[in-house]
Amino acid sequence: MPVNVALGHVSNAFLIAALVIYSLSVVAFAGDFAFGRPRRAAAAAHGQQARDRAAALASVGAASAAGAAADQAPAPATASAAPADDAGTMPELAVPALRAIREAGRWIVAAVAFAMLGAAAHTTAVITRGLAVHRAPWGNMYEFVTALTCVAAIFFLFAMIRYRVWTLGVFVMGAVVVTLGLADTLIYTAPGDLVPALQSYWLDIHVTAMTLATGIFFVPAVLGFVYLWVDRYTRRVAAGQAAPGNGIVRRLPTIEQLDRLTYRTIVFGFPVWTFGVIAGAIWADQAWGRYWGWDPVETWAFITWVLYAAFLHARATAGWRGRRAHYVQLLGFASLIFNILVVQVFIAGMHSYSGVS
Amino acid sequence: MTDVRAPETDPFDPAAEQDDHPRPGPSSPGAAFGPADWLKWGWRQLTSMRIALILLFLLALASVPGSMLPQQGSNPSGVQQYYTSHPDLAPWLDRLGLFNVFAAPWFAAIYLLLFASLVGCVVPRTFRLAGSARTLPPRAPRHLARLPRSAEYTTALPPQEAVEVAARVLSGRGFRLRRPDDADSSQDWVSAEKGYLREAGNLLFHLALLGVLVSVALGGLFGYKADRLLVQGQSFANTVSALDEWHPGRFVTAADLGPFTIKLNRFDASYIASGQQRGQPSSFDARVTYTEHPGGPARSFDLDVNRPLSVDGAKVYLIGHGYAPEFTVTDARGHVVYKQPTPFVAGASGNFLSEGVVKVPDAQPEQLGFTGVFVPTAVNVGGTLESVFPAADNPAVSLIAYAGNLGMDSGAPQSVYELDTTAMHRLTASPQVLQPGQSLKLPDGRGTITFTGYVPWVSLAITHDPGQLPALICGIASLGGLLLSFMIRRRRVFVRARSGPSAQNGTTVQVGGLARTDAGGGFEAEFAGLAAELRSAHEQAAPVPPGQPPPQQAAQPRHEGE
Amino acid sequence: MLRALSRGTLPARALPVRARRRRRVVLAAVVLAGVLLIVVLVTSLAGSGNSGVSTVGGNASAVVYQAGHRPLAPEFTGTTLTGSKLSFSSYRGKVVVLNFWGSWCVPCREEAPILAAVAGKYQPSGVSFLGVDVRDTTASALAFTHSFHVAYPSVIDQSSAITLDFTAKVPIAGTPTTLVVDRTGHIAGAVFGTVTYPGLTAIVAKVTAEGG
Repeated sequence: MPVNVALGHVSNAFLIAALVIYSLSVVAFAGDFAFGRPRRAAAAAHGQQARDRAAALASVGAASAAGAAADQAPAPATASAAPADDAGTMPELAVPALRAIREAGRWIVAAVAFAMLGAAAHTTAVITRGLAVHRAPWGNMYEFVTALTCVAAIFFLFAMIRYRVWTLGVFVMGAVVVTLGLADTLIYTAPGDLVPALQSYWLDIHVTAMTLATGIFFVPAVLGFVYLWVDRYTRRVAAGQAAPGNGIVRRLPTIEQLDRLTYRTIVFGFPVWTFGVIAGAIWADQAWGRYWGWDPVETWAFITWVLYAAFLHARATAGWRGRRAHYVQLLGFASLIFNILVVQVFIAGMHSYSGVS
Repeated sequence: MTDVRAPETDPFDPAAEQDDHPRPGPSSPGAAFGPADWLKWGWRQLTSMRIALILLFLLALASVPGSMLPQQGSNPSGVQQYYTSHPDLAPWLDRLGLFNVFAAPWFAAIYLLLFASLVGCVVPRTFRLAGSARTLPPRAPRHLARLPRSAEYTTALPPQEAVEVAARVLSGRGFRLRRPDDADSSQDWVSAEKGYLREAGNLLFHLALLGVLVSVALGGLFGYKADRLLVQGQSFANTVSALDEWHPGRFVTAADLGPFTIKLNRFDASYIASGQQRGQPSSFDARVTYTEHPGGPARSFDLDVNRPLSVDGAKVYLIGHGYAPEFTVTDARGHVVYKQPTPFVAGASGNFLSEGVVKVPDAQPEQLGFTGVFVPTAVNVGGTLESVFPAADNPAVSLIAYAGNLGMDSGAPQSVYELDTTAMHRLTASPQVLQPGQSLKLPDGRGTITFTGYVPWVSLAITHDPGQLPALICGIASLGGLLLSFMIRRRRVFVRARSGPSAQNGTTVQVGGLARTDAGGGFEAEFAGLAAELRSAHEQAAPVPPGQPPPQQAAQPRHEGE
Repeated sequence: MLRALSRGTLPARALPVRARRRRRVVLAAVVLAGVLLIVVLVTSLAGSGNSGVSTVGGNASAVVYQAGHRPLAPEFTGTTLTGSKLSFSSYRGKVVVLNFWGSWCVPCREEAPILAAVAGKYQPSGVSFLGVDVRDTTASALAFTHSFHVAYPSVIDQSSAITLDFTAKVPIAGTPTTLVVDRTGHIAGAVFGTVTYPGLTAIVAKVTAEGG
């Protein structure tokens, strides 16, 4: 079937629109840092938290909110050293999402609105591209990066709203903008057909899984950098080398929250990656006669899998929790990127379908 | 998949309740650290999380050279090229096994140790899990309010009934229960535990990985791989001497080959003719006829890149294709001494510019040899012949002729794609270009070579892998185990009921719960839902009679840090 | 604190010391067995890819089958290089030296003079020589027979179908292969690889000397 060039142009237009709108959301997130409501101001949030919890569990018969708040004032000692405001727990239940967004301030409202609008435009771009080429729109590197950033953006929006981590928006959406912009300018490929080796329904299964998994892993990669930054700052403060009270860091979630969020996102992505590797093996058997041949791309997908498995083990190993585990996780993502950018393009193997010469 | 080895402080780890791992130390007090103790220490180290982590890193690191350097198994010509371009470095790399990383003993040592560590960790835990299938949750602690999650309310039911109602609710939710036995003084509590499948999923994942390794080994021992190049119109019977390459597993003999025959009737390839993707292949189609055994019925099949042929337990794959120009050579005496299609192999320059060799060892008086370049769509660009399109729209062949000793009459077997000209002299000063039907007359009346046409060829891979299906099943099982271990959390809920605070106020019901490493989140929600359900069940069993004021309810869910 | 809360007395866990020791031994045995299994599998995997690569005319090995243990040579019909039809059953009652060859095959060219010499010696006494020309074309094959003065016919086996039939009886792993068939049509001897004059003549002499 011939390629629908008009729809291809529509897809490009929506992608540019998504880029612009995402940029606006990044600006709004940044504006929240500068001008938004204070976060983690101890007493106010503390009381708010208590009221929220009491309100949510009203069916169990909450007493007066004041009484509940007073009872909770002696913050229980926890294993973590963080102050016991909204730091230690993930307040998923407390307040419905929309209200939480509104209460986070005007800048966040604007940022979330722009981000969602951008994600809608981005999704439309991906879908119209697929319609233009009459197949799943991840057949070359440009399409792959476009799709994975879409997955990353949507996944992050879900996580951000669920866990109310507004202040991470500037980092993740910023990374999405940069990646998408680079893809559009450097590796753009016009819509076209696939080489016969790719004309199989296993394309839809294997590459879809890899696209999803990479998009999901994109988020903890960004969060890993944030974690390392906050961790370094915390250590420097403890060592007396830096002044406490850094405005940005104070607005970010605590180390424990960042760590937990990173862990949960990786836990989400790891089975998808595993499935993608298995589906790739099934497809390789169909096309090349063996389900595993240590082809460079296969090998690096294996390396990525092993590194993320190492991350999951590191979190359960004394002395490897925290900073070191995040180094491992970032190394895993680096191997993933290396696989896409270097191995598929430059190293000759049977996987060279990137469309980039 | 957290905690294959639980940290010592974990209250859920059965190992913490009984010392299954004695500390390494002398076997008998006062004795020196003997060899048995060293073994025990070594084993304990091997099965520790830290070593497993280091081995995982080593495994990832060891795979890197296997992807960067050409490997003997998949790219032997690349290895050759590396030798020629790095003549000093290459032998050292070979000694370290870097040209065949994944079959190297040191690579095997890494995953061997890793799986030994895995087995040493997983098997005892499997036994423990099987043992714990009958053990009950622990008794309810006295002060439920000190648990990470707790709730408290009152009900009109007497304590024992309240506990019964709670037990029914929890049992209905799938919890395993423990009631106080008769010897207990405080009778009115129930313990509930759920989520044993998490550990089962964790173990399933790791055991399934072991299964994948075993399946791969099975395939390596009892399977085989073979290659064969087939020119259009030719057929071949599946026997070892008819194969171009034959790699049997350790326990495979030639008799294990299925006795099928395949004939390539026709091969068509079409390419995109215009646009940005001009020259890219759009479809391949290899039409074959095959018989499963000699004398059997002939069946036809359309072999394609993603559609292999299953026959006699083996699978036949279409791996590649190319052009085989046809040549007729007559020698000095006028006899036709060569008349066949000759497979040429496409080079890296693209558009199926192919190179090949014609060897005529029985030409008289002197053996003849030709090196040739086949150009499917030939265009003369500044004196050189280039191919601008992969289809054979304008085929041409360029030949250089040699005469002398091909080296075929004794010694080692030669490659059919390479001509050894060390004992030959060149007959033509420059390459001669031939169109289909044209002849090249050799000097001194040595004969002629005619380029009569071309036919396509395909390369087939024939494989048999008995470990393939088990590997797939184990892979899916590992995914299932992974999902189970990620999605299920082990948690305990306790309910206590006591009369009070005063005789008129009915029974105070306390509910407490904790989840093991609830890093996955969600227990807060589950506990709140459970507490609400318990309360409504109690309310339904004993509604407040009209006229009486509702009892003071002081439900304060307390959340301690995770 | 949590540990203290959740740890209670669990009667099922308090096993007697002997039972615990026994269980530990069983556990250790299972784990050791598992590790050994992995070691065995892995060491047999490593290097399995290198074994069994077909030796085309590499190290020759000769086999002689004792009477009563000889596989029956399969029937076949074919076309000779000169175009006439040939049926192997017509050779029943004679000793036959069956040589699988190809004009492209270097060891076949190397052994061709030896075969010609053996043929020259034994054809007068009634031993038949027959070639099976595998994976070849008529023009090249005829040129080969002219070059080496091959005085006996060869049947065309372009697809290796005849070779396949014989591989079911004797393990033919490459080209050249030479079989010696006795008068009852059973395969009495085989040379896998290049023949040598003393080696082949020994087998032919032995089979010829058998009653018949």
